[in-house]
Amino acid sequence: MSVSEKRTFLKIYLFQPGLRIWHWVQFLCIVVLFVTGLYIGDPFFTGSGSGEPTVVYPHILSMDLVRTIHFSAGYVLLVAFLYRIFLFFTKKAHRALMAPKHLWMLKDVILTYVFIKKSYPPVIRNPLARLAYIFIFALIVFQIWTGFAMYGMSNPNGATATVVSQWTLALFGNEFTLHVWHRIVAWLFFLFLIFHVYLVFYNAFLFKEGELASMASGNRWVPLHRIPVDAEDALECKIEDVLGDAGCDRRG
Amino acid sequence: MAGETYWESFQKRGMSRREFIKFSTMMAGLMGLAPSFIPKLIHAMETKEKVPVIWLHGLECTCCSESLIRSGSPLASDLVLNMISLEIDDTLQASAGEPMLEHKREIMEKYHGRYILAVEGNPPLNEDGMFCIVGGKSFLEELKEAAKGAAAVIAWGSCASNGCVQAAKPNPTHAVPIHKVITDKPIIKVPGCPPIPEVMTGVILHVVQFGEIPPLDRKGRPKMFYGQRIHDTCYRRPFFNAGQFVETPDDDAAKKGWCLYKIGCRGPTTYNSCGNLRWYGGISYPIQSGAPCIGCAADGFWDNGPFHNRLVNIPLPGVETTADKVGLIAGAAAIGGLAAHAIGSAIRNTMASRETNGNNQEEKTK
Ligand code: HEM
Ligand code: SF4
Repeated sequence: MSVSEKRTFLKIYLFQPGLRIWHWVQFLCIVVLFVTGLYIGDPFFTGSGSGEPTVVYPHILSMDLVRTIHFSAGYVLLVAFLYRIFLFFTKKAHRALMAPKHLWMLKDVILTYVFIKKSYPPVIRNPLARLAYIFIFALIVFQIWTGFAMYGMSNPNGATATVVSQWTLALFGNEFTLHVWHRIVAWLFFLFLIFHVYLVFYNAFLFKEGELASMASGNRWVPLHRIPVDAEDALECKIEDVLGDAGCDRRG
Repeated sequence: MAGETYWESFQKRGMSRREFIKFSTMMAGLMGLAPSFIPKLIHAMETKEKVPVIWLHGLECTCCSESLIRSGSPLASDLVLNMISLEIDDTLQASAGEPMLEHKREIMEKYHGRYILAVEGNPPLNEDGMFCIVGGKSFLEELKEAAKGAAAVIAWGSCASNGCVQAAKPNPTHAVPIHKVITDKPIIKVPGCPPIPEVMTGVILHVVQFGEIPPLDRKGRPKMFYGQRIHDTCYRRPFFNAGQFVETPDDDAAKKGWCLYKIGCRGPTTYNSCGNLRWYGGISYPIQSGAPCIGCAADGFWDNGPFHNRLVNIPLPGVETTADKVGLIAGAAAIGGLAAHAIGSAIRNTMASRETNGNNQEEKTK
């Protein structure tokens, strides 16, 4: 293995533009859905005057508008999710980074985070993060599922009601309980967001490998003396080839 | 009397053909049928025999019967005396005790496979049904026996359809809706606590006059009465859409008649005809009187408390709290914890870099 003096960092191209755009679209959707959703269940402010509803309706941030925004963002989230499934098949990095691999390292990661261990082996995506992403995808699936189940019931004989709502309602017992669960899970997104943002910054500062910027540029920079153990998950070829031939990682 | 047609009983009472046609047309309207169905209905009323009905009472509060006898069109008296032949009903009939039980046995034998079984209330299963005894037998047993010879079963109210208050957690008597016990007969569920009077008479009329059960939705409820949310037929809906809400039951907004969503209205998740038929001949319904709907026709409404809050208690053991409170507290705790973690990491990193710096210096000095 010969490494030139200049190349002390290995550039790993992780995320194609499609994936990066998807990430930020989804982020926006979830923030919008969370805020509008909280409002729907508990309209904590009302922009209305005390006039007739037909008069004030067009002039204010009405419940109807908030709900329309929620449902529209719901559709965008659904399309984004389907697109993410498509991306899953396009590139190795797009599927491997979510797989629950390297679980043996989970203990090391947790012990490091709580200051008991000094560090864990270098990785692109540590197993705790991998589990967290599987978890957030499960939440998204749950929210889209229960969301469309509620949405479909505005026409109980319609197609959405037949395909999604009816059996979902049977499962939850009644429609109100469905609302309650949709709201509980909404708060899990809030918690996820706090941890996610913190840990991304934390890793960016701790390892200085461009974690924070990677969702904008698509690249991660790993120092050559710390080649990630899961590097091959994100590369389309063997790590030896990458190190020997600087072009390989780009091909992915 | 069972055994005679509607037309015959009209003639017996000296009513004219014109009155009969008027009556049939009104019935068609009540049942929500298209005008093209009127001749069919008249034909049915001329040829179909009156159907015997057996009405049983299990664990219940009799609000269904109370509701039925307030039906305005048709009048409950008309229904009971002219339109069906109500053979057994503990609360309405004059006879009692052994003669009544004997009559029930007779009817069940004579009209085996042809009578309608109407059930108000539900059976408790614990202790072999000991919590509800009728005529020396458990109601569970009585119900199963009567269901054997029934052509169809009507489940009156939320008790028989869904379980209702006696099935609320932790349900000590293990009261269950009747479809858990009767599994081999068509069951028409007419939920509500109680159901709307005209819905009750409408359902019976459909069954006895067409001799078939009305079109049901997937939950077994007649589509014509339970096909829409109260929220979607509510006259306060414009206030909801415009975001004009009542905050407390006695505030200014309440006097103006704004939407009751924020004080817990369950209209958005409840399917019933309150919004369009209303109650007692269209006089009013809970929301019109200023009380938020508690969702009495919805499955599980009894466990979705508190009724006057939109955000209800979530299933956390031991505490009564809402998702929003838990979410905010957990979020604050997470932010606090992570801030402490950030400080801890900063300290560790400085210590670590000092160590490495120290090592480097050692190396240099070597
Ligand atoms: C990240 C995803 C989502 C979040 C955080 C979220 C959040 C919420 C929240 C907090 C509520 C209020 C629940 C209540 O108290 O009744 C709500 C209601 C609702 N959501 Fe979502 N939601 C999400 C996705 C979706 C999707 C994909 C749909 C599909 C169209 C959807 C449809 C609905 C509907 C129909 C309601 C009920 C509206 C009403 O009762 O007027 N949601 N959502
Ligand atoms: S009062 Fe209840 S049913 Fe009527 S619009 Fe408001 S929330 Fe819906």
